Amino acid sequence: MLAVNSLCVDVSSQRLLDDISFTLKPGECLCIVGESGSGKTTLLKTLLGLMPFSQGQISYQFAEEDCQLNPGHQYLGLPGVSWVMQNPLAALNPLQPVGRAVAESLYHKSLSKQKEAERVAAAFRKVELSPELARRLPSQLSIGQAQRVCIARALVCLPEVIIFDEPLSALDAVVQKQIAWVIDGIKTAHRLSYLFVTHDLGFADAYADKILLLRDGCVEAYQPVEEFFSAPTSDYGAELIEAARILGSLDAPAAMAPVLLEASA
Amino acid sequence: MTDIETLPSVYEGSDGAELTALRRFLIRTGIGIMVFLGLYAMALLLTPYDPNTADFLSRLQSPGAAHWLGTDHLGRDVATRIIYGAGWSVGLALVISVCGAVIGVLIGLCAGAGPQWFDRLSMRTTDSFFAFPELIAAIAISGILGPSTGNMVLALVMVSWMRYARLTRSLTLVLNQKDFIVQARLNRLPFWLILWRHFLPNLRLGLLVLWTNMWSRTILSISGLSFLGFGVQPPQAEWGAMLVDGKAYMLTAPYLMIFPGLAVLITVLALNLIGDQLRDHIQKPVD
Amino acid sequence: MKKIANGVTGLICQRLAGLLAVMFGVSFLTFLLYYFAPGDKALAIGQARYSGEGDVQPEIIAMIREEFGLDKPFLSQFFHWLSPLLQGDLGRSLVSQEEVWLIVIPNLQETLTLSITALLLGLGLAFVLSVVSAQKPGSLMDRVAIGVASVGAAVPSYWLGLMLILLFAATLQWLPSYGSGSFSHLILPATTLALWVMTTQTRLFRSFLLEAQAAPHLEALRLRQVTETEIFWCHVLRHALIPAITMIGIELAALLEGAVIVEVIFSRNGIGSLFVSSVMSRDYPVIMCLVLLSAFSYVLINTLVELLQDAINPVKRVTRVVV
Repeated sequence: MLAVNSLCVDVSSQRLLDDISFTLKPGECLCIVGESGSGKTTLLKTLLGLMPFSQGQISYQFAEEDCQLNPGHQYLGLPGVSWVMQNPLAALNPLQPVGRAVAESLYHKSLSKQKEAERVAAAFRKVELSPELARRLPSQLSIGQAQRVCIARALVCLPEVIIFDEPLSALDAVVQKQIAWVIDGIKTAHRLSYLFVTHDLGFADAYADKILLLRDGCVEAYQPVEEFFSAPTSDYGAELIEAARILGSLDAPAAMAPVLLEASA
Repeated sequence: MTDIETLPSVYEGSDGAELTALRRFLIRTGIGIMVFLGLYAMALLLTPYDPNTADFLSRLQSPGAAHWLGTDHLGRDVATRIIYGAGWSVGLALVISVCGAVIGVLIGLCAGAGPQWFDRLSMRTTDSFFAFPELIAAIAISGILGPSTGNMVLALVMVSWMRYARLTRSLTLVLNQKDFIVQARLNRLPFWLILWRHFLPNLRLGLLVLWTNMWSRTILSISGLSFLGFGVQPPQAEWGAMLVDGKAYMLTAPYLMIFPGLAVLITVLALNLIGDQLRDHIQKPVD
Repeated sequence: MKKIANGVTGLICQRLAGLLAVMFGVSFLTFLLYYFAPGDKALAIGQARYSGEGDVQPEIIAMIREEFGLDKPFLSQFFHWLSPLLQGDLGRSLVSQEEVWLIVIPNLQETLTLSITALLLGLGLAFVLSVVSAQKPGSLMDRVAIGVASVGAAVPSYWLGLMLILLFAATLQWLPSYGSGSFSHLILPATTLALWVMTTQTRLFRSFLLEAQAAPHLEALRLRQVTETEIFWCHVLRHALIPAITMIGIELAALLEGAVIVEVIFSRNGIGSLFVSSVMSRDYPVIMCLVLLSAFSYVLINTLVELLQDAINPVKRVTRVVV
C-alpha cells in the first residue's frame, strides 16, 4: 500500500503542490487527471525522489518493506515502484540495445548473467515481445514495440506499483489500443497497483478504480470512478466530463442516453 | 576555426539509412588512412638516407634524381626529413589532442552531470584558461620551463583541453534532461557507470568532429612553436624546425622552405576536410 | 525555481561579476606560471640589477628575496605579487631596468597599427568572398571561395609570410622584407595577417548569410514584390551581421596571437616580437605583463561583445533566465 498524506512541494517560495493526500491499495488503479501545469508531473517526480517535498509524509507498506518518508529525506526511487515514461524513444538510450536497458533495472540485484538474461526474456514475453528483439537498438523498433520495452523494463524488477506518465499520448490510435490492452493484462496477471497519469477521461472511465483530479497543485476531487462520473463533487470535474462527452472521447452514460434522444427529437 | 557553437548537437536517434551512410564514410576514411600509413611505412623503410646524418659533400643540392626534394645546408635529404618529420608533427599532435580530449571530457562530464559547485568551479577555471591566447600561453609555458619537446607537449595540452570541456559540458547538459538518464538515476546506477554507458556513447560523434579539428590545429601549433624555437629542437627533423633552417637560404635554395610548408599544408588540409565531411554527415539528421 | 535577471542593470552586474572572477583566475594562473618557473628568481633579479659588478653578494640576494617576498609561502607570495599590480605598478624589466609600461606601450602601438590594418583588410576580403559565394550556393564562384577558405585555413601563417617575402621582396624586389616604419613595411605583414583573418571569417560569414537567407519572412517580402537586391542588402545582411559581430570581436583578441608569428618573421617591433624575445631572455616582469595584457584584453572584448549582443538581441535579454 502506498499512502501520501498532505504532501506539499515548494520551490523557491512558490507552492507547486498543496496538501495532496491519497492512498493506493494493492491491485488498485488510481488515475491522476488534470490539465497541463496542474502538478501531475511534479507529483510523480516527488514520489520518485527527484524533487524534495516540504511538508507531509509518503508511506508505503509492501511485502518486503515498510517505511515512512518525511520532508528532507533524501531518496531516489521507491523500492517496489517502477516508472513508465511518456515518450518511449526519449526514455531509451538511442545507442544501447534495448535488452541491456531492461537489464539495467536489475543492476542492484546482482544476478548472474544467465539469470539476468532469463528475467529479461520473461519480461519481454509478458509484454508480448519476442526476446530476440533484445539485441536491437531503439531506432530499429516501432514506437509501440519501444513502449512495450519500457513496460518490460518496469516489470522486470517485479514491482508492486507501476507509475505510468501518460504512456499512451505519444502513440497513434491503433497502437494506443494495443498498449492499453497490454497494460490492463499485466495488471490482473501480476496483481499490480497502478498510478496512472492521463488526459484521457475515456481511459480513466474504463480502467480506473479511483480518480484524483488536480488543478493548480490542489486536489479538486478524489472519488471512486463511478461516483466521479455520476456525481462529481466539483464544478471543474463536471465541466471536464461534459467537455469529454461533447468531444466523444467518453460515452454518455446509459441513464442519460434517452434524455439526450428526447432533447434532439 | 570551428567554434563550439557551430558544432553539432547530440546525435538524435535517427533512422538506419543515415547511420549506414555515416558508417560507410567512417569505413572509407579508415581504409584511406590505413593505405596512407602503409605507404608511409614503406617510405620509411625504402629511403636510403638517414634524416639526421650530415653529408657535407652534397650540401644544398637542388631537387633531382638522387634527392627528390633536394638537400639542406648540412647535406641531409629533405624528402627523408619530411617523412620523419611527419612522425613528430602528426604523431605528437595525436598524442597531445588525445591527452587534451581525455582531460577535457572528464572535466566536462563531471561539470555537466555532477554537483553544481563543481560545475561553477570548473567553468570559471575553463574560462580563465580560455582567456590566454593559445600560442601566447604555449610560448610562455614552454619558454619559461625551458624549450624542449616534453615542455611543448605539456604546454599544448594545457591550452587545448578547454574546448573539449566546454563542448562536453554543453552536450551533457542537454542529455541530462533526457528521460533515459533519469531512468538510469532511478535505477541507482553508480555515477561512473551512467557516464560510461549513457553519456559517453551519445557524445562521441560531436567529440570526434572536435577532435579531428583539434588534431589539425595542434599540427599547426607544433610547427609554429618549433619555428619560433620553443618546440622540437634541431637537429630533429620537424617541419617547423626545418623551415627555420631553410630560412637562411631563402634566395639560393627556396625549396628548403617550400616543401616542409607544403607538407604541413597538405596534412592539415586533409584532416580538416575529413572533419568537415564528418560534420556534414552528423549534422544532416539534425537539420 | 527561475527568476528573470533584474533588467539590463542586473545583466551587466552579472557579467561584470563573471569578468572579475575570470580576471582573478587569469592572474592566479599567470602567477602559477611564474611560481613554477625553474631557477632562482632572486639571483636572476640580482644579476640583472648589478650586472656590471661581477658576482652578486649573498646579502644582496637575501635583501632581494626579502623585497619580493620570495621566501614566503605560496599564497602570501601571490598577494605580494598582486598588490602592486592592482596599483598599476608592473615593475621593471630585468634586462633593461626600464619601467615595463615604457617598454610595452610603443610596442603596443605598433601591434595595434598592424592588427587593425589587417583586420579591416581581412574582413573586407572575407565580406566580398562570402557575399559572392552566398549569392548562389553551389555555383562555381561559391566552390572557389570555399576552396580558397579551406586551403587558407590549412596554411601555416609563418610559411605564408615567408612565401610572400620570397615572392615580393626577394624575387620581385617590390617591397622591403623586414623592419618597421614606413607604409611599405606594413604591406606584407598586414597582408599575411589579413589572409589569416579572411580564411577564418569567410566560411563563418557565408554560413550566417545562408542562414539569414533561409528565413521564412523573406518569402513574405518577395510576395510583396520587394526586389531581390533590396532583400539582400536591407534584410539578409542585417540578420547576418548580428552573429558576425561576435566573431569579429573574438577575432580581434585572437589577432594578437597571429601578430606574434608575423612580427617575428618580418622582424617588426611590436608586442609579439617583444614577447618572444623576453621569453628567450626570461624577462619575467615583461612576460607577465604581456600575458596578463593579452588575457585581459581577450576577456574584456568578450564581455563587451556579450553585452553588445544582449543590447542588439532583445529576445536574449528577456529569456535569459537565472536558475
